[in-house]
Amino acid sequence: MLFPTLDFGLFFLPVLLLVWTVGLASNEWRKIILLLASWVFYGFWDWRFVALLIASAAINWGCAQAIQRRLDDGRSAQPWLGIGVAANLAILGFFKYFGFFLEQLAPILARAGWGRDLPVLEIILPVGISFFTFQGMSYLIDIARRQTAPASFLDITLLVSFFPHLVAGPIVRASHLVPQFKAVPRLTRGMVATALILICWGLFKKTVVASELATGLVDKTFFDPSALTGLDLALGAYGYAVQIYCDFSAYSDMAVGLAALLGYRFPRNFDQPYRATSLQDFWRRWHISLSSWLRDYLYISLGGNRGGVWFICRNLMITMLLGGFWHGAKWTFLIWGALHGGVLAIERLWREWRPEGFPALPKPIAILIIFHIVVAGWIFFRADTLEGALAYFTQLWAFRPGLTLASPVLCGLIALGLAIHFTPPTLLPALGRRVAALPAPVLGLAVGLAILLTDAMRFEGVAAFIYYQF
Amino acid sequence: MADQFDSPVDVEADEQGLSGLAQMAVAVGIAVFTLAMLNAHALGAWADGLEPGARTARISAVAHGLADQAATRGLDGPRAALKQQWDRVKAARWPDQASGNQDQR
Repeated sequence: MLFPTLDFGLFFLPVLLLVWTVGLASNEWRKIILLLASWVFYGFWDWRFVALLIASAAINWGCAQAIQRRLDDGRSAQPWLGIGVAANLAILGFFKYFGFFLEQLAPILARAGWGRDLPVLEIILPVGISFFTFQGMSYLIDIARRQTAPASFLDITLLVSFFPHLVAGPIVRASHLVPQFKAVPRLTRGMVATALILICWGLFKKTVVASELATGLVDKTFFDPSALTGLDLALGAYGYAVQIYCDFSAYSDMAVGLAALLGYRFPRNFDQPYRATSLQDFWRRWHISLSSWLRDYLYISLGGNRGGVWFICRNLMITMLLGGFWHGAKWTFLIWGALHGGVLAIERLWREWRPEGFPALPKPIAILIIFHIVVAGWIFFRADTLEGALAYFTQLWAFRPGLTLASPVLCGLIALGLAIHFTPPTLLPALGRRVAALPAPVLGLAVGLAILLTDAMRFEGVAAFIYYQF
Repeated sequence: MADQFDSPVDVEADEQGLSGLAQMAVAVGIAVFTLAMLNAHALGAWADGLEPGARTARISAVAHGLADQAATRGLDGPRAALKQQWDRVKAARWPDQASGNQDQR
């Protein structure tokens, strides 16, 4: 069940009604309604994986209790923390990486004469598994670090299952969401107005901008780059940069908006990433909940900045390689991670060794350079295979003249997708304040007309969000 | 730069008048009504996608009845006009560019 579908609308409206009627009388019932709704939502993909969600919540709840008991007794939390993190990694590893490792292992074992005994398993990847397992691990680490207290079984199960963030984030941490579950939420007019703006804007970005670019330009350029001109391929790469931003940020916007209508505050996940002046700046603006997760639970655990410059570069490289691998078991994701890790390391070395008085790059030039490094990374990220990515670069470099694919409207959508990065960062709160002041019927009419306009412009059918596969 | 835990919905607005909950209830209700009137054909298309059965046949009949009534009263006109305009914009090509490259619908 995808957010921009009537199926989801018909699911969400009764949930909203129940939560704000039955749920107002009892916070426990409110959470039970949300939990059951989340399981129905997840069950639309595959009912069997609801059991996986419950198992994941039960493991994390049990380990959290054990960690807290050991901490209360003045003992080390490490044994149970290790078990809990290993269990989460085992779930993730089995469903997401088992096939990849088997593929890599097969030729090695074949050379040694053992290849025939390898099992062939067609493992279905449960939607959102990378998100809920990371959420579970951060919960256990936070408890071991005494940064949060263990939650009740209901709260932790709801945290893992809560449908607005379940399948593609943001990765909402227990320390942020569980305290909200404990109190009856309160809606403000500002929250309602901003939530409705985010939902409408997310619908537009996904169903118009991302879908048009995907089907009209990006899918074709990546399908057969050899048949296209250099300008087509350049626009295809820019188009994918806009598509992935509009696709993923649209999901986050809608998730934040839907959660807000239910009374919960999710953190910001994007902050105009293509206006970044360094790659470090980019990672403070792109998929913020993942980058801060990697920083807090991986980079810092590896030693972070506590060491020499080469030690820091090593940590950056490992973090970004694993960040790439988190996206999927493919060499293209690893190379994407290595590219980001390498550039982050170079930036670090430059900060360390930059000659005194050496002038800094003008801001627009820095933005342009970083944007093109990010776009180069996206080519690896989008390509189905490593050979496909290299063929794309080869054809791009050859730069055959002409333009066959990108129509004026597609160029306009690329320009729009980039231009929104240079609007004032205070635009949304300012708009939210204005919209909150509108009379409710006018607001409702405006929302209805905005959705109607988007529906008239949208592509027939809705493709799954790019991040569903992760 | 955004703090990692700040939320985009933390907007301090004038809270005079209806409460946030009442504001949401009225706004969502009117938005749903507006869409049910002006975009009723979407309900029909959704009902067509349901698995055939006695219950879904009833749902489909109601959805198509609503869509037909809306069409009879011309309520589907604004959406159709918007879509027509958008399709015209999409069909535009650069000089010397071949047409029909993105006709996916």
